[in-house]
Amino acid sequence: MKSAEILCIGGANGSGKSTLAQICAGLLTPSSGSVYYLDKKVESRNNLLELRKKVGLLFQSPEDQLFADTVEKDISFGPRNRGLRGAELDARVRTAASLFDLSLEELGGRSPFTLSVGEKRRVALAGVLALEPEVLVLDEPFIGMDFDARQHMQSLLGRLRDDRGTSIVIITHELSSSWLLADRYALLAGGGVERLQSRSELVEKERDLIALGLRLPQWGVLANSLKEMGIFVEDPADPLALARAICSIREGSDGR
Amino acid sequence: MAGKDITIGQYLARETALHRLDPRLKVLAVIAGTVVIFLYDSGWGLLVFAGMLLLVLVLARMPLWPLLKSIRTVWVIILITALLQFFLTPGKIVFSWGFLTVTDTGLYNGLILSSRVVILVLLLATLVMTTPPLALADAFSSLLSPLRRLKVPVGHVTTVMSITLMFIPNILEVGRKVMRAQMARGADFESWNVFRRVRDIVPVLVPLFVKVFNNAEELALAMDARAYPESGVRTRLHPMRIGVLETVLTFAFIGLAVGLIFVF
Amino acid sequence: MRNDRVEQILVEGLSFSYPGAVREALSGINLLFEQGEFCAILGRNGSGKSTIARCLNALIAPSAGSVIACGLDTRNRGDSLEIKKKIAMVFQDPDTQIVGTTVEEEVAFGPENLGLSAGVIRERVDRSLRLTGISNFAGRQPMRLSEGQKQLVAIAGALAMEPAFLVSDESTSMLDTEARQRILELFLSLKEQGVGIIHVTHFLEEATIADRVVVLDDGRVREEGVPADVLYDPEKVSDMGLDPLPVTVVAREMSSMGHPPAGPVLTVEELLSCILA
Repeated sequence: MKSAEILCIGGANGSGKSTLAQICAGLLTPSSGSVYYLDKKVESRNNLLELRKKVGLLFQSPEDQLFADTVEKDISFGPRNRGLRGAELDARVRTAASLFDLSLEELGGRSPFTLSVGEKRRVALAGVLALEPEVLVLDEPFIGMDFDARQHMQSLLGRLRDDRGTSIVIITHELSSSWLLADRYALLAGGGVERLQSRSELVEKERDLIALGLRLPQWGVLANSLKEMGIFVEDPADPLALARAICSIREGSDGR
Repeated sequence: MAGKDITIGQYLARETALHRLDPRLKVLAVIAGTVVIFLYDSGWGLLVFAGMLLLVLVLARMPLWPLLKSIRTVWVIILITALLQFFLTPGKIVFSWGFLTVTDTGLYNGLILSSRVVILVLLLATLVMTTPPLALADAFSSLLSPLRRLKVPVGHVTTVMSITLMFIPNILEVGRKVMRAQMARGADFESWNVFRRVRDIVPVLVPLFVKVFNNAEELALAMDARAYPESGVRTRLHPMRIGVLETVLTFAFIGLAVGLIFVF
Repeated sequence: MRNDRVEQILVEGLSFSYPGAVREALSGINLLFEQGEFCAILGRNGSGKSTIARCLNALIAPSAGSVIACGLDTRNRGDSLEIKKKIAMVFQDPDTQIVGTTVEEEVAFGPENLGLSAGVIRERVDRSLRLTGISNFAGRQPMRLSEGQKQLVAIAGALAMEPAFLVSDESTSMLDTEARQRILELFLSLKEQGVGIIHVTHFLEEATIADRVVVLDDGRVREEGVPADVLYDPEKVSDMGLDPLPVTVVAREMSSMGHPPAGPVLTVEELLSCILA
């Protein structure tokens, strides 16, 4: 993983997604092999605790973890556990809330249970961001969200990467929801990870994806079909490029 | 969830004689056993009863390890019960330690009481492990049916009971997930500090309750959608059919257990 | 399940508010569902799509208006048993629907509640397992199956009621793509056998294979029609809070470049066929 990038790891249910997520966050230790953070191997228990501080982890349906009387108290749970108090704590909570477009004036004093699913999910995320992790690992962050909520979340994650330099790992079986967001891809299958670089590489793997129980988003399927017809599109996420490619065939066949 | 050993209401899918036994007989035997162990005057009665129970379990080829595990989950209660008796019962002092004194009657009472609890847990665990929740509900519904004439809401009782049983593994699973999520936020469940551990239970209990209630509501809705009757009266694909031999054996067991009251 | 008379669910002026809620969850809905038709109901979160599913089989009674399901009024408590026989439902979470310790016990749950004889229950269980293609699961423990398999069991359980309609309340949202595919294929085959499928979902690709699409927004019917007519315009689709299909976005770009496709396109094949034409 590099800093300030969004990596999307595609994995079907049962491929070991949540295990991988927990290893990355230092909550589980691998039976063999090792985790390296900033070129340093994670070996001792101290290393492990350090790793936990640097990596924030959110499981599927994070809104299920909300418990406090108010949104503000819930977000402050994490930093409070790390020993923060007073003005520093308030500042952390405020920053985390604003990162996820949560207005503390409006929502801070409300019970988290009165919020919508999208808002709850953002509160849970803010709660983890309040720990100021350098890396964020998200297990199926978009599941159950409708289009508006998903778009909002995507822009917030993008902002996190661009403004704070946070590295974000999204582990999901729904490649379409991070299609436009991710910088790089990887595939998790049979306990192994295959590293890919770009969307174009992912698009080439259409058949492998199906074997893994994953599906290429319609963008990729279209790009592949065009490739079979001899047209190469560099960015299989750009509707303009795809449209231009198709129009060029049309113009060609019209003899213009 | 695939591949994990998840059982419904701690029901263990096996083929033992106890599994095949009519659920109504099992319920009657357990109720009788529960009452009887509190009526024995001396420890000998408990010992003989425990022996009888063990004999039945072994003859039926019941896997004993899961039963022992169920005792493990309540060992704290058993320990507290015993300790309270040790320290708080008046009698001849056996030994003392600072301001804490242990009496001989205290020791005796403590052992008796904790044995009763252990046997009780074993009885209930055997019942739940050998009877699917729906069969248990049907058994209760059938046994309590005379009460319907007295307008007692038998159906509601059995429905609530079966949903509760079916939810035990769900509660454990949700609890595990919530603990995991809070751990990722720095909650410490392995701290030596007792106050810390108690305080950190709240972030687990609240979401646990909320989630479990929501799940229970969904389950009730799903049961309603398939016309689960309020009265609890329903037919069965494999109807409950009481055999003569099993009835005789069960009542023999109950009779022996009751008889022991007068002996010990 | 083939009937000479085609059963219907008639929704007229349906409104519903949850107790204590400020706004209505459903407002003046008029819809007609027919046996043998696959109808997809789409809508953003909060549009009322889950609420309407529960109104169809008398789980929820309307605050105003009516739902006449197969000739029975859902407001009549006395008819609720008959209604549940005709309109079966599967829910979103595979885990909170299962009550049996074996698949067989699970599927038998419905018929048992109806007080049918053991012989009839046996027939229904076998038939439902066959229809869903899971006859070999009969003795297995539902809790040990995958999420997708659990949903197949849930559908079998619903089919054991021998309903005229099957209402799916987002039954595919918690599944991975392969499991979703299998369920949709099952829905299509059930439709061929005369069961009316009403599938509530927020995945647009699932709606493309439906005979009819209904889009709810803010408790009202916003759009209704064949998938091509309702879903071809990406701007309208995202305005309704739904995820536009990528081909529709590409098709729109093509139009603005002066090469509009011949008709509404929803799939890659349709889009490419207008090049090859």
